[in-house]
Amino acid sequence: MNALLSMENLTAGYGEADILQNVSMTVAQDEIVAIVGPNGAGKSTAMKSVFGLLSVRGGKMLFDGDEITGWAPNRIVQRGICYVPQVDNIFREMSIHENLEMGGFLKTGDLTAAYDRVYELFPDLKERRKTLAGSLSGGQRQMVAMGRALMLDPKLLLLDEPTAGLSPKYMEQIFQICRDVQDAGVAILLVEQHAKQALAFSDRGYVLAAGKNRHEGTGADLLADREVAEMFLGG
Amino acid sequence: MELLGLVNYALFMAIFICIYALLALGLNIQWGFAGLFNAGIAGFFAVGAYTSAIISTPAAEGRIGGFDLHFVFGWIAAMLAAALVAWPIGKICLRFRSDYLAIATIGIAEIIRLVIKSEPALTNGARGISSIPRPVGDIGYMESQIAYLIIVLAVLIAAYVLVERQFNAPWGRMMRAIRDNEDAAKAMGKNVEFRRLEAFIFGAALMGLGGALFAHFNRSITPEAIDPMVATFLIWIMLILGGSGNNRGAILGAAVVWIIWSVSEIATDRLPHEYAIQAKYIRLFLIGLMLQLVLRFRPEGLLPEPLRGDQRATKSGADQH
Amino acid sequence: MDLFELLNFYVVPGIVLGSIYALGAVGITLIFAILRYAHLAHGDMATLGAFLALAAVTSLGVSPYAALPIAIVGTAVVAVGIDKVFYEHLRERPKIVTVMASLGIALMIRAVVQVVWGVDTQTYSRGIVRPEDYFGIRIRDREIFTILAMVALVGALQLFLTRSKWGKAMRAMSDNPNLALLSGIDNKKVVILTWVIAGGLCAASGFFLGVNTELKSMMGWHMLLPMFAAAILGGVGRVEGAVLGGLIVGIAEELSVLVIPSEYKAAMAFAILLFMLLVRPTGLLKGKVL
Repeated sequence: MNALLSMENLTAGYGEADILQNVSMTVAQDEIVAIVGPNGAGKSTAMKSVFGLLSVRGGKMLFDGDEITGWAPNRIVQRGICYVPQVDNIFREMSIHENLEMGGFLKTGDLTAAYDRVYELFPDLKERRKTLAGSLSGGQRQMVAMGRALMLDPKLLLLDEPTAGLSPKYMEQIFQICRDVQDAGVAILLVEQHAKQALAFSDRGYVLAAGKNRHEGTGADLLADREVAEMFLGG
Repeated sequence: MELLGLVNYALFMAIFICIYALLALGLNIQWGFAGLFNAGIAGFFAVGAYTSAIISTPAAEGRIGGFDLHFVFGWIAAMLAAALVAWPIGKICLRFRSDYLAIATIGIAEIIRLVIKSEPALTNGARGISSIPRPVGDIGYMESQIAYLIIVLAVLIAAYVLVERQFNAPWGRMMRAIRDNEDAAKAMGKNVEFRRLEAFIFGAALMGLGGALFAHFNRSITPEAIDPMVATFLIWIMLILGGSGNNRGAILGAAVVWIIWSVSEIATDRLPHEYAIQAKYIRLFLIGLMLQLVLRFRPEGLLPEPLRGDQRATKSGADQH
Repeated sequence: MDLFELLNFYVVPGIVLGSIYALGAVGITLIFAILRYAHLAHGDMATLGAFLALAAVTSLGVSPYAALPIAIVGTAVVAVGIDKVFYEHLRERPKIVTVMASLGIALMIRAVVQVVWGVDTQTYSRGIVRPEDYFGIRIRDREIFTILAMVALVGALQLFLTRSKWGKAMRAMSDNPNLALLSGIDNKKVVILTWVIAGGLCAASGFFLGVNTELKSMMGWHMLLPMFAAAILGGVGRVEGAVLGGLIVGIAEELSVLVIPSEYKAAMAFAILLFMLLVRPTGLLKGKVL
């Protein structure tokens, strides 16, 4: 398989504690991959270590032919990975349009095409482009956050629990947008608390527990796996 | 300098070091153990000095007091008064990050300076309060100096023992837990605000006592006796250089900085007048620079804070944030 | 007391003083919001700006107003330099360490001013200026210039912050520093910009205090409390709030002499500061609380 991103035997953590131990994952071009698992399994840590936000102590990461282990976040952004954190993922005191502008900060030259593409994905945002992002509802904020991350035209989008705290209606909408993003040629790696829904909609999934790889496979296979179901999906 | 003069100077210096060490210990309670930034040390010092002066001087025309009470009452009142000034400031500011406390303490020191200057009924204005009694009464000059050194040394040792004991007690453990990881301490159900207020008030009380010791040593107190910024800053550099969080460090820092400060004063006093004034400011500049260098190259100070058993766990925990 | 007396003796001087505070408070609020610490050397930086202008006046023989741009540029350069040499290395440490360092910097700047220019009171130009009468409002030219300069400088800053790419980057850094970094915004450039702006405004603040009163080595330190009170009153991070706060503090100080002895004028700022922290720490315009 031609991997866009591959993590090989990654060990990473905060301070002295290793949260991730020997974790390996891949994301292929145009693929949606979900990481699921119980709380504290290291799901978000896996994502943050891709982005150089914590110290990686073992293993390496390759992206699109480059080894990116230990790169600074802004270099990774420029290389084509954008990241949407779970919380605090918008500029609250700036308008929607300014949020997108900041997303495209590293792009030199005209941003019109990038705005058009994002507004096409999120027509709701276009109408309210002058509105302060902080005044939006949770679902709309998530859209602003994703829109900001898409401004640089990334090859891979990292989403940390994009549906946390959203109503089922918005959850569906976010998943639908993920598919649209995928259709536009962007691979997605997402961490999800709602394991069933996430696995059902993803191409592939990884199940993490206690900082280690436990299971991997296509979303459908994992959903059908009895052990996975019992351990993480609440029976 | 003849021998007697040298001994006298050494005594003088030793007494000052003890007083400053007491102030540095007070700051260590606030900053070293609770992480509270007090930029108005001189204010609490002045409150203590004037309170004790009013309590222990004989009755005087045109101002409140004096009440001619025993100096012990003066010193206790000095601590109480400083604590009383600290209380509302702490109550309001300790809910926030220590930046706000820094600004508010600069403010309170400024207000106290204004009160001292403009309330002659309280402080006798620019002339200040004089004939503040020495604790041991009227004995010869040298004997009086020696007696006073013994007293301030005893006060310092008592304060050191008490503070050190508190730091090793559960109270100290809790303070460090709060300082190193406020959120975790809150989650454990600690009343962070109240504990900080305690530390702030205890520290301020020690500063008030330091002021009282100074006033009784000088036998008088005037608005010009203390330059607020210089006094506050000297105590800061003492604690930071000595090692914040370490009581012995605070005392060592007081000694080292005071010796450098007064020896350099002797040196610059010998310069011709026009250079002497400039030299004074150059000394201030160098003290400021010294703080920058210590903060950058030896932030733990000469005597680093001892890593107590309870801290190893919280230290690594704090790194996560 | 009639209305004109109130305006001429209290409100107009209050607005002038408030404009001076506002110039400093805007810098304080930006540093508070973007770098996230209280900069205690702000007042003394204003002193430095005022004396740099004096140096230009005496050495080049230019008029004080021509010296202002020189002072602004000079102080901005010094501010960036101080950050590079002293504050930058403390960035990874708890912010309060930088607050402490800034107290030391305050002492150092003041010492430099005292060594170079001495401790005596100085002025840009001698002579008494009588106020002009505009329909009963008596105001001096220099007071008009002070107010206009404040409005112009802050207006230009607002345009920069809302229209330009780097101005928006500054707002983004103030709003959500992590996300700003994830968006690839260069933190270092934002920090330099912040110091250029804060330093320049400091110089203007000190300069206009010098124009309207006199130059002293302690002039800036005494403005520190009112400037912080103004920034917190307006709401930390809010430029327009800092202006509003500055004006309120300035007018409150001037009006306070009607009810309290004039020696305690300086206590007004302190009272406002504590009152705001007590009842509404986010300030009038909903700013940040650190």
